[in-house]
Amino acid sequence: MITVENISKYYQRQTILHDVSFSLNEGEILGLLGPNGAGKTTLMRIINQIVVADKGHITFEGNLMQEKHLLEIGYLPEERGLYQSMSVEHQISYIGRLRGMSKTDTKSQLNYWLEKFGIQAWRKLRIEELSKGMAQKVQFICAVLHEPKVLILDEPFSGFDPINIELIRQELLEFKKKGHAIIISTHNMNSVEEICDRAILINEGHKLLEGNVHEIRENHKEGIYKISFTGNMIAFANALWAGYEIIDKEIHGDDDFSVYLKMRQGNEINDLLNAVINEVKITGVETVMPSMEKVFVKTINAEKEIPHE
Amino acid sequence: MNKIILIARREVLERFSTRSFKWLMIIGPLLILGLVYLFLSTTTSSKKNWKVLIMDKKEIFDGKLTPSKPKNLTFDFINAFVEYDDFAQNEKYKDYDLAVQINEKILSNKHVIVSYKERPPENIQRHLIYFVERRLEEILVDQFTDLSVDRFRDIKQSLKFNLKDANDPRDEKSTTASWVGFGFGLLIILFVFMFGMTVLRSMAREKSNRIVEVLLSSVKARQLLTGKMLGIGFSALIQFAVWTAIIGFGLYVFRLTLFPDMFSAGFVADAVEQESLISELSNQSPFVELIYSQIHYTNMLIFFTLFFIGAYLFYGSFFSMIGASMGSESDGQQFVIPITMLLFMAVLSGYYHVYYPGTVLSDWLSFIPFTSPMVMMIELSNGFEDGSAWQLFLALLILFVSAIGMMGLAGRIYKNGILRFNHRLKLKMLIKWTKK
Repeated sequence: MITVENISKYYQRQTILHDVSFSLNEGEILGLLGPNGAGKTTLMRIINQIVVADKGHITFEGNLMQEKHLLEIGYLPEERGLYQSMSVEHQISYIGRLRGMSKTDTKSQLNYWLEKFGIQAWRKLRIEELSKGMAQKVQFICAVLHEPKVLILDEPFSGFDPINIELIRQELLEFKKKGHAIIISTHNMNSVEEICDRAILINEGHKLLEGNVHEIRENHKEGIYKISFTGNMIAFANALWAGYEIIDKEIHGDDDFSVYLKMRQGNEINDLLNAVINEVKITGVETVMPSMEKVFVKTINAEKEIPHE
Repeated sequence: MNKIILIARREVLERFSTRSFKWLMIIGPLLILGLVYLFLSTTTSSKKNWKVLIMDKKEIFDGKLTPSKPKNLTFDFINAFVEYDDFAQNEKYKDYDLAVQINEKILSNKHVIVSYKERPPENIQRHLIYFVERRLEEILVDQFTDLSVDRFRDIKQSLKFNLKDANDPRDEKSTTASWVGFGFGLLIILFVFMFGMTVLRSMAREKSNRIVEVLLSSVKARQLLTGKMLGIGFSALIQFAVWTAIIGFGLYVFRLTLFPDMFSAGFVADAVEQESLISELSNQSPFVELIYSQIHYTNMLIFFTLFFIGAYLFYGSFFSMIGASMGSESDGQQFVIPITMLLFMAVLSGYYHVYYPGTVLSDWLSFIPFTSPMVMMIELSNGFEDGSAWQLFLALLILFVSAIGMMGLAGRIYKNGILRFNHRLKLKMLIKWTKK
């Protein structure tokens, strides 16, 4: 749906983005990850045509991105803003009209979303009368009101309580089901694992990683297994001897443990099971996948060690 | 275009939703009316009795003016003509306040000159003119017609009265007309400053609460800037229209209440004649003359509107540049000072033009877009000589071309600066942004 090709942006001799390319497909949620100052916001602004790229181009449904395509995009910036003295309904209607909606469509969509979020009572309230969380909801509605084909959300969960995070997450999944494409920039790695199909990681303007979230985690596996058992911990440890390295353990109760370990000396999972099966009662075995957070930190740290041009 | 209208509409509605805008709409014109009232009411002199010397060289009036003695006027006749200087300074005439010159051809030229040492109030002027006119009617009827005096009044031509200051008969010191233009120019500068600051504050607020990023994802920076400038400018025009309506109505009420006797039916019978007399009467007092007769409202209002639009777009571009590029709401204040100084210079240039209208500097000031709205309003109030009205249109053209140029620059700065936050604004930065 959107293809970003070799986008570069420089400001005051500093590289903000360097040759960043990726694509966003229909019905896909793409996580845009990176530390603060990585260039994520600039990239999102470039896609929204708020900032002009110094190099590269963006296509929308195969055509070079133009002003008219902005009507197909919904944008929720990280630093949200609303007119404090405007009422909720006027604020939402104003943004809807600016995004090319007719008066009638704006009105019906406004009613739909206020009802969906159960906030009809706020309709006449001024923005300054709302709490931060309430204002966040209004901002989210402003971004999705015109049913855009592409949603670009910068930290969409920040400022929300767990209940509202779940509400927004469900809305995003529903959007995805309808075939809309979504780009989410977030520092909340749990949400990336939960709802993102793919992710790209950028640091200091360079793209470091791109791929399916599951595949990224798979590719960053460190050969760690989690074995859960009941029995004597010392007997378990003795049985391992030198062929395995215990990384961590969790005590769930008397004689109820989970142990994280790495294979040594070319041992495999079957060897491990053979070694301990007579000593303890095994209740579970699983390969430990690295969290996106770990992948993120590890990749960024590794990148820091490589000097750039 | 649709988006620009939407943005402009929101700006207008926001202005109307603020109390200060609504209060200003009422209090502003009332304040001006208050000042006008003050001036009008203080034009009434405390002098109880006015001594008038009738200079009737040919004794046309035959030493008579009224059958009865008027309340506030005393007349003496002299069969000679006294020069203005003589009347003003000679010890012999020191007791006289007014001198009425009955020229030898008054029966044909119908022209009377009244000179004064202290400008008489309206009612005194009215009575004096009334008596002179009636006496002349009697003489004309008696000498030239078989008509009754009443019938003659119906068909006669009005007298032309000319009031002169005995100390300044050529009216060289009079700058009344210029001050009318100065007032209009000052109003332009005041409105430009007020609404220019509104542009700046509105941009700074949108920047600080970050809604600008949401807006820019739907509209182009130039559209946003244009919509905002138009919306706030339109609010200013509405404000001005309301001011005009309230002040206009107030002046009408003043005319009915402050000078009711000036228009009394008994003064002149004929309504048409009354109108012409009103205009003659009002010509006699500088401030009343200024308010009720000298201001050519249609012309002044048309060109006021045009010059205001030009000046607002020109100066408003400067305000928008600062508003768009400041890092925080307080950061840009230092850059407001030079713009305020420019506006102050415009006011000073107007002051200069009132007193030194024909100088080379004055001519330049009337075309420079920074000062032309002020100076040209003064020029306009004095009137243009035949064939020189092109100056007015040239000044307007220069102003609008400059405004368009400045808006182009403002657009560049807006585009580059509006998404920059928390920096210290530097002139170097502004210059750089104009080139991108």
